[in-house]
Parts: sequence; structure tokens; C-alpha cells
Amino acid sequence: MLTGSEFQSGVLLAIIAGPILLGMAAWAVRAERIRNVIVMTAAVLTASLGLLLARGGPFVFEAGPLAAHAATALEFGVIATLATIGFRFRIWTVVGMSLLQFAMAVYELLHSGAEQAGAAFVLDSLSTVLVLIISLVGSTIVVFGIGYMHRHEHHAPSSAATNGRFFFFLTGFLGLMNGLVLTDSLKWLSIFWECTTLCSFFLIGHDRTTEARQNARRALVINMIGGLSMTAAAVVFAHEGGNGTISGLIHSSSPVAILLPILLLLLAAFTKSAQLPFQSWLLGAMVAPTPVSALLHSSTMVKAGSYLVLRLAPAFQDTPLAIMVALAGGFTFAITSAIAISQSNAKKVLAYSTIANLGLIVACAGINSPLAYTAALIILVYHAVSKALLFLCVGTIEQQIGSRNIDDMGGIMFKMPLTTTIAIVGMISMMAPPFGMLVGKWMAIVAAAHTPVVLMLLVLGSALTIFFWAKWMGRITTTSYHDHYAIESMPATMKGALVLLGVTVVVAGASSMAVYKQWLQPLAVSALANVTAQPGSEALMKTVDDYMSWAMYPILAVVAIVGLASMITWGKTQVRLPFLCGENAGSDSKSFEFRSLMDGKNTAQVTSYYFAPWFGEAVITRWANPVAFLILISFFARISLI
Amino acid sequence: MNSKVSLALGAVVLAPVIGGFIRGLDRVITARMQGRVGPPLLQPFYDILKLMRKEPVVVNRIQVTYAYLHLILMILSTFMLVMGQDSLMLLFILAFSSLSLVLGGMSVRSPFSRIGAQREIVMMVAYEPILILMVIGFYLINGNFQIQSIYNSPRPLLLSMPLLFLAYLTVVMIKFQKSPFDLATSHHAHQEIVKGLTLEFAGPYLGLIEIAHCYEAAFFLALVGLFWTTHLAIAFFLMAAVFVLTIVVDNLCARLTTFWMFRFMWTAVLGLALTNIVWLYWR
Repeated sequence: MLTGSEFQSGVLLAIIAGPILLGMAAWAVRAERIRNVIVMTAAVLTASLGLLLARGGPFVFEAGPLAAHAATALEFGVIATLATIGFRFRIWTVVGMSLLQFAMAVYELLHSGAEQAGAAFVLDSLSTVLVLIISLVGSTIVVFGIGYMHRHEHHAPSSAATNGRFFFFLTGFLGLMNGLVLTDSLKWLSIFWECTTLCSFFLIGHDRTTEARQNARRALVINMIGGLSMTAAAVVFAHEGGNGTISGLIHSSSPVAILLPILLLLLAAFTKSAQLPFQSWLLGAMVAPTPVSALLHSSTMVKAGSYLVLRLAPAFQDTPLAIMVALAGGFTFAITSAIAISQSNAKKVLAYSTIANLGLIVACAGINSPLAYTAALIILVYHAVSKALLFLCVGTIEQQIGSRNIDDMGGIMFKMPLTTTIAIVGMISMMAPPFGMLVGKWMAIVAAAHTPVVLMLLVLGSALTIFFWAKWMGRITTTSYHDHYAIESMPATMKGALVLLGVTVVVAGASSMAVYKQWLQPLAVSALANVTAQPGSEALMKTVDDYMSWAMYPILAVVAIVGLASMITWGKTQVRLPFLCGENAGSDSKSFEFRSLMDGKNTAQVTSYYFAPWFGEAVITRWANPVAFLILISFFARISLI
Repeated sequence: MNSKVSLALGAVVLAPVIGGFIRGLDRVITARMQGRVGPPLLQPFYDILKLMRKEPVVVNRIQVTYAYLHLILMILSTFMLVMGQDSLMLLFILAFSSLSLVLGGMSVRSPFSRIGAQREIVMMVAYEPILILMVIGFYLINGNFQIQSIYNSPRPLLLSMPLLFLAYLTVVMIKFQKSPFDLATSHHAHQEIVKGLTLEFAGPYLGLIEIAHCYEAAFFLALVGLFWTTHLAIAFFLMAAVFVLTIVVDNLCARLTTFWMFRFMWTAVLGLALTNIVWLYWR
């Protein structure tokens, strides 16, 4: 019979190694049907292991010296792989960076020896949140991928890699991410970090078109900067006499000496969560098939960065670094929200919105209060679900209409009512009460009330987010009257994943205040127990607790009933044609044609507002990137002054 | 507590009546300024009653839901205001109410309605930061986000936030669709986009939106009153002054472009609001 902790350890190892091994099996198998069964098994297994692990509660897993040797071997293996890729694709910056990393790894090995590295895995409340996101949302995306990739094979360029390889990296990603959030050892963290970088490189480059190759390279280079910075952090920390663990860093007895390693780790986190000026790789990542973008943007990869920031928050809060972190995050939030307005490409709007929300999480981590930390957690959780849903919807729409331009999405309500309805639910959940994203934003603004500059950035940014969501929602809800709607045909796995996520968004959104009170607020309070919060933060927390949240629900129930009743009760006789700009040509309610001068036929057409001369990507990044770079530089300047 | 709930419910019933009178008075005064006789004071009520008795006519299914959502959220906002609830959340619910109307306007294929709806979004983006800053101003003075604390405040807020009050006046102008901001829809017959945002709503559904506008009129003037809660008479005077001022400015100005409005709000008006906020921080 296994004891409780032995069982837990088994689950922990299985949730890391399981998806990777099953992914290998999926790559090895040629027959598509068997591969699908394996991928499905991996998804179900990861999801159930995640729930099992969360139920078991916090525990520590001490690995023996063997694991430490394995870590050292793996570290050199990863560096060798990176160098090989650098040589193979002639990316000399990658070669250079892997050589540097090799030098640092050797130095660390000689300096501290392999045994000291330690290999403890720790499951605490923060990593539980992350494991749940990764294993539940991530697995749903993998399931969606089964149906999607079957279709994608027919559209994809002939250069594309095989679906088997694709699923290896996709499911393997989940295992690696689980490892990343569960480990307490800086060495293991760095290994998982680089492995996720490698995975994203192969996944982004999946189609092997010129654009895909280029963007995959950019993702590799930028994320390697982060990896390098992370290894440097480990070396500096070891030099300061640290024990090579994250908990050692947080509970260090000399808070000033550890600021440099923490700053280096934050830099790594910023590259991974695509904060300005490192955002370009995530924008390029959307050339990949949709499940990849969904995975990178919602539950994995970028969340590794925000996880690390939140993990380190107890260490840097209360130091001069905190306000800088808040500033960098707030700046990213406001700027990327503005750029999103000028984008007509649906995936790019989603990408900018992702970066903005990551910026918001980072900003909250930098504000010195448990309320802000709770806001960050709420946004982390709810963003993962909503954004996964939206990416999957856009992927489905794109396969159907052959375009990802928002202006082409008018009238899709008739062609694909299920997907469109779920997409609308997803968009509403990004911005409207009582859904989690708005609750998070609300708490963030409340918590920032004593940090004026950050507050300003958050206020402007959240006003701008209304703009692009409203524009897009308006476009996809545009419909004419139809007696009946078409029934969409799509693979069961895609439909199942969409419906599952849609229901989750609604249920989780409706219970956002309960999630806040029961789960995330106690977590934040205990995580920041040793930090002196800024004055007034308790009163602010009370403001949020006092909110009359119940008032929202009867109202929404009334709206739902009225909406349904109005849909059912009225009939065709009430329908009239819209006023286009003259007499409607013909009586077809779907026509955009009207007669005006000289009885000629004209077509009515309205494009969306983009304000490109002011909010254009090039216009803004031209000055925003240097400013963001200056903010990063001032981080280093600030700690050198201490 | 119970008396507060009944007061709030009473306000929910009374607000559209008061709002209707405000809008009727608006039309009478505007007509007199332009040398016309104008409609009777009760015209808004006649309008709504007439609309309600008309045949329900629609362009598509989803439109109706949005009209209801717009009105119901406006009612909720009014209820929350009188209950003295969290002011920031109140703003978000108010924004969702406006957004419902925008989405209703976007859901049809008429170019006029779509242009009007997009202009309304720009207007929302333009005034939303000002409203949030105003609420932050309330917080900085009272140390609390609850509106109840404003009702109990010992000193008139206008004395501490005069610039935010000015900034709020422009928000009122935008919300009431007054020149130079009457971009999305207008009561006057000089709009190039016809009735804009509300063009494709008809019959009882347009009636719902008209009722919501009555709520809006009462709601935003009530917010003016928040700036002077110590004397009811002064609060009423303030509201009346703001009301007349909006009409005067409406008749003095020509309508300007959407982006001009956005730039004006995010530079001049935001600057005013920020100056006041900085002052409150350093007080």
C-alpha cells in the first residue's frame, strides 16, 4: 500500500513525465486513429492528474542526489540541443548565447558541484493554481487540436511537418509546463524554461513556410535572452552563497544582495510573457496552427512568465524594484491596448490583448498589496480560460471563412451559430460584469489607488480595451433575419472542446466573487504574509469585500429570460429591411444593395474604425519600445544605487 | 437598511418620470432659444406612450435583447447609486449599459446605425477615464469607494475637486448628446447620419431605449448633485445650472468630428482631471 505522500509524489512525476512520454508515443505511431487515441488519453490523463494533485494539497518532494546528477546532464543536453539548432539553421546569435550558457553552466558546476543543486519539487497554493490551468485548459486545447489538425493537414502547405511531431510537442508542452511551475530548484526551472522555448520554436515553425521559420527563429532568440538571464541569476545567487532554490531566494536573510538575481529572473519572466520591448515573438507566434497560439497565449508559455513574477513577488515587494515592476507592467498594458485598436487581424487583436493582460498581471504584482496580488491571480485564471476559448473560436472561424480579418466576419452568426455564440460569450467575459476579467480589472484599479502613475496607465488602458472588443463583437453579431440557422459541421473533438470551455467561462464567470473570496484571496494573503503591505491596502480590500455582488444575478436572469422570450415569441411578419441609404434593391433581407441617384444600384459597406495614423503598430512601437527599454535599464540603475 | 432599499426602489420608479420632465424642459428651452414655440413639456411622455402602442418591428433577432439589456442595466445603475454602493463597479455597469446599446446598433446592416455605434464607442473611450478619475477623486477625499461615504461627507466635494467637476461637465455634454459632441445620434434634424445609433430600433423597442435615456438624464444630473451633498438646495441649484449650461452650449456650438472629440477629451479635459488628482494626492 502506498502512503499518502508516496502517492502524491507518483502523481507529481506522472503529471510531468506522462504527457511527454505519451507525446513520444504519438510521434512514433503512424496510424492517425491510434495517434488520436493516444493524444486523447494524454489529455484526459493530464486533466485528471491535475485534479488529483490539487485535491491532495500542498506537499514537498525531495529528490535524491541521482536527480541532481540527472539535472546537470539534462542541462548540458538542452544547451547542446540549442547549439545544434543554432548551427543547423545558421542562427549565430543562438550559437553565441548557448556558448555563453555553456560557460556559465560549467562555472556553476565547478563552483558549487552537482550535489548542491537539489531537486525538490514543491506543490503549494500558487503552483496548484497554475497546475490546474495547465492541465485543464491545456488539455482541452489538445483535444481541440485533434479535430483541427486533421482539417489543417488539407490546408497546410506541403512543407509542413507531420501531425505526429506536432502532437509530441503539444502534449509534451503540458508536462514541461507542469514541471516548470512545480519545481523549487533554479536548475530544474532553467531546464524546463529552455525546453518550453524549444517546444515553442518547433510549434511556431510547424508549417515551415518562410514566415513560420522566421517567426520561430525570433521566438527562439528572444526567449533565449530570457534563458541566459535566468542562468546568470542562478550563478549570481550561488555566488552570494544561496542554495539554488526559489524558496531560498524568497526567504533570503540578505534582501539587498538577492536583488540582482531577482532582477535577472524578472528579465527572463518579461521575455517569456512578452512584455514590451520583447513582444514581437508572441505576435509572430500566430503563424502557427491555432491550437499552438491558443496554448501559448492562454495556459502555457506566457503564463510561465507571469507565474515567475508572482512567485517572486514576496521577495521584491517592499523593495524599490516593486514600483518599477508595476510601472513596466502598466506601460505594457496601456500601450498594447492602444495598438490593438488599430488591428484588423483577429489573431493579432487577441495577441495584443494577451500581452496587455500579462502586463496587467505584472503591474499588479508590483503594487504592494494583497488585493493587487489577488487581482493578478484572478486575471491569470480567467484570462487563461477566456483567451483559450477565443483563440479556438477564431481558428474555427478561419477554417470556415478562409480569413482572419475582422471585417470579413459579418454575418457569420448565420453560417456558424454555435461558434459565434461561444465567441460572443468569450468576448463578453473579457470585459463585462460579473465575469472574472472585469472583477480583476476592478480590483487592480482599486488597489492602484495609492500608486498614481500606475493607476493612470491602468485607467487609460482599460478604457482602450472597450474599443477593440466592442468593435469586434459588433461585427460578428451583425446578422440579417433568418428563419432558421445553419447547423455547423465540425469534428466532435473541436465541438466538445468549444462547448466545454464555453460552459466553463459562464459558470466560472458567474461565480467570480465566490472564487475570489474562497480561493484566491486567502492564497494572496498567505503568500504575502511576510511583506509589509502599503498603507491603506486593508481598507481597499474591505471595499471589495463589501461590494453587493448579488445584485447582479437577478438582473442577468431577467435579461436571459427576456432575451429568450423575445427570440421565441416573434415571427417573420415583424421583420423589416434595414435602411441602407435609399430604397432597398429587392426584398432580400441579406442584401446590401440599394437604389439611389439615377436609379443605379449601390452597395452599402462600412468598415470599422482603426485610427491607424494614431494607434498604428509601427507608429506606437517606434517610441514605445525605446521607452520600455529605458524602463528596463532603469531597473538596473535603481538597484545599483542601493 | 430596509428604508434605504425602499428609497432605492422608489428612485427606480421615479427616475424615468423626473428624466422625462428634464428632457421635456430641455426641448422647451431649446425651442425658445431658437425662437420657436416648441413641443409641450410632456412631449417625451407622449412619445414613449405612442411608441409603446406601435407594432413591434425588428431587423434581426438579437437587437431586442440588447434594447432590454440597455434599459435593465440602466435601472440597476440607478438602484446602486441610491443604495450608495461601490462607485467604481457602478461605472462598469453603466459602461456595460451603454455598450449594449452600441452592440444593438452594430448588429444591423444599416451604415448609419453602424457609424453611429462606432462613434458612440469612441465617445465611451473618451469619457470613461474621466469618470474613473472622478471616482478616484471621491476616494482620495473620503478614503472609501462607497457612494454612501459621499452622502455622509461633511464638506462639499466641489471645493476639493473643482477641476474634476469641470471635466465631468464635458462628460454630461457627451452623455446627453449635446453639441459639439452630438455625434452618435441626435434629437435635432441636422445629423448627417440620420438617427445614427438608434436608427434601426422601432416601436416599443425604441420606447425602451427612450425610457433608458430618461433614466440617464436623471442619473447624470444626480451625479452633479454628489458634488454638493451638504445642502440639498445648493445641490439642486448646481444641477439646474449644469442643465441650463448644457443647453446653452448645445445651441452655441457646431458639431465637431469624432476624432477631435477624442483628442479634446484625452488632452484638455484629461489634463484638467489629472491636475485635480495630483493636487488631491499632494494635499
